[in-house]
This record gives sequence, C-alpha cells and structure tokens, in this order.
Amino acid sequence: MIKRIVILLVLLMLAFIFVNLAASYSEQTSLSALGHYYVEQGPSELGAANLVTAVVVTYRGLDTLGEVTVLFISAAGVGLLLRRTRRKDDHEDLEQGDRAEETAIARKPASEIVETATELLLPMVILFGIYVFLNGHLSPGGGFQGGAIIASGTMFLLLALPESHISRLMIAITESLSGFSYVVIGVLGVILAGGFLDNRIIGLGTYGHLFSAGAIPLIYVFVGLKVGFELSAVLDRFRKEDSGPL
Amino acid sequence: MGELIGSLFLLGGAIFLFSAGLGVLRMPDTYNRIQTGTKATTLGTILILVGLAFLHPAWALKLIILIFFVMLTNPVSSHALARAAHAIGTAETESTVIDQLETPANEDTREQVE
Repeated sequence: MIKRIVILLVLLMLAFIFVNLAASYSEQTSLSALGHYYVEQGPSELGAANLVTAVVVTYRGLDTLGEVTVLFISAAGVGLLLRRTRRKDDHEDLEQGDRAEETAIARKPASEIVETATELLLPMVILFGIYVFLNGHLSPGGGFQGGAIIASGTMFLLLALPESHISRLMIAITESLSGFSYVVIGVLGVILAGGFLDNRIIGLGTYGHLFSAGAIPLIYVFVGLKVGFELSAVLDRFRKEDSGPL
Repeated sequence: MGELIGSLFLLGGAIFLFSAGLGVLRMPDTYNRIQTGTKATTLGTILILVGLAFLHPAWALKLIILIFFVMLTNPVSSHALARAAHAIGTAETESTVIDQLETPANEDTREQVE
C-alpha cells in the first residue's frame, strides 16, 4: 500500500515537471544565429550540397569522432562478452548443448532458391551501401547510414547461408585502419588547413559534383567502412559455431 | 497519350493490389494467404512501376531496375516464409488433398501448432 503511494507521488512529481516544460515551450519562428550562419555560409565555404553532412562532418567534426569512438567501444564490449574461451569446464557445456539440440527440432538448411537469390542480391546490397556513403555530401545519407546498410547485407548472408565463413582477421584489420585514417585526415586538417577535420585540405571542386566538398567524401568513405565492418563483426559474434581465433 | 497509358497501368496495378488484400482476408489458411499475398502484390507493384515509367519517362531506367529487384526479392522471401511455416507445423485447411513437401522423415520432427 505504501509502495503504491510512493510510486504515485513520484509519478505526480514527474508529471508536474513535464507539464511545466511543455507549457513554457514556445516555437521558434526563425533560425537561431548559428543556424543562420550554417545555412548562409555553409555551401559556399565548404562546397557540400548536403548541409547536414557539412555540419556533421566539418563544423561539428569532433562530435562525429566521439560517435565513432562510442560505436567502437560498444562493438569491443560485445566482442568481449561473447568470446568463447576454450577451457576445461567448457567441454561439459558443449555436451549439454549437443543433447539439447537432439531433442529440439533439427534446423533445416535454407532451400536452394534462397541460397541462389542471396548470392545474387548480396552484391547489390553492398553496392547500395557504398553508393549511400559515397554520395553523402550530395544526397541524404552518409557514412553511418551506408555502414548500416553494409551490415544488413552481412546479416542477410548470415541468415541465408549460415555456413559461410567470414574472416574476422580481415574485418578487424579494415576496421582499425579506417578509424586510424579518419584521425589521420583530421590531423592533416590541422597541418594543412584551418583546424581539426577541416575539409579544405583538398580543393573544393564544382558544387554538386561527385568530387566536390574537399575531404568530406574521403572522410565518409572511412566512416562508412569502419561502421559497416564494426557492425558486421558484432553480428558475426552471435553465430553459434566458433570460427577462428579472434 | 503517354499519360493515358500510364494511368491505365496505374489503375490495373491498384486493382491487383486490392485483390491481394482481399485474398489475404478471405483465404482459409496460412499457405493460401502467403500465395495470394505474393503473386498479386508482385504483379500489382510491377504494373504500378510501369505506369509511373509512362508518366515520367525520365525515370524509366531506374524504375526498370526497381522492377527487377522486386521480382527477385518478393517471391524468394515468401518462399522462405512458407517453408518456415511448414517446418514448424502450421496446420493446413481441411480441403487440402496433397502435401508435396511432406516426407515421412520430417513427419516425426514436426510439432503440431494450431
């Protein structure tokens, strides 16, 4: 009874706070001063047609580096928690697991139609992911979205062809190299241009073309590769059989 | 003229999609519903995209690529769904005559799901 009263009081307090917040909210009718600067100076200064990309990668590039770091930490955490260590007490777990599998319904392999369609579709999915992060500065999309599409291609492969072998060593090397190159480009921005992750280290090019907006496509290539391989490695950890030392 | 043909294709596509929805509502069991859902929606989507290609000729190549993609993915995913439904033992309607996927081997491992 007391517990219910306490819960009710907490809910009333939260409701009071939120009602105050909602009542004091007045809609902004025009852009703030910072928004004005981004909208007016962004395209001419950076040469990027997609203003969101310009803000995320250049004006707020350090936050993006933080996001990439957070993704890396979460992928490393998943890898740490799902690691299968070969120890003596694991043999008992393996025996119990085999017995459980015999009594459960045997998993049927995917039919030949699904396997063939997967082999046809997987390159298309990966190509689309590459397109999304290569055109990040021109159309909606960018590095994170393209990387997620590539990871969904990996999940497609793992669902339809569970016996396929993905080299964890290659995934780890590519992911680390991409993250490292991202920071190297940032440092190049300090040396050659205005500041960390400034995109004017390469010429700005013609507005709206593929090779424009300085280093933004290059940055997004590395971010897309890193995110795609990272999420693929996380998905790979969830597979049942252990494939390799890493 | 192109607009008229395009609008006719759009109308045809809409009719097929409507009949797909009607079929999903009225069919007696899972496998019939999957069948109507796949065939009619794939054709309806293709007709709508062809109609759009007539209305906006500049998009024609992209729409043709989309048609290939839909034709490749929609039937395959329904096939996988139907096989999965059969594997866990989804019941068929009483008027079923032949089950071609059923073999004596997997009759024992199927659990009956209603």
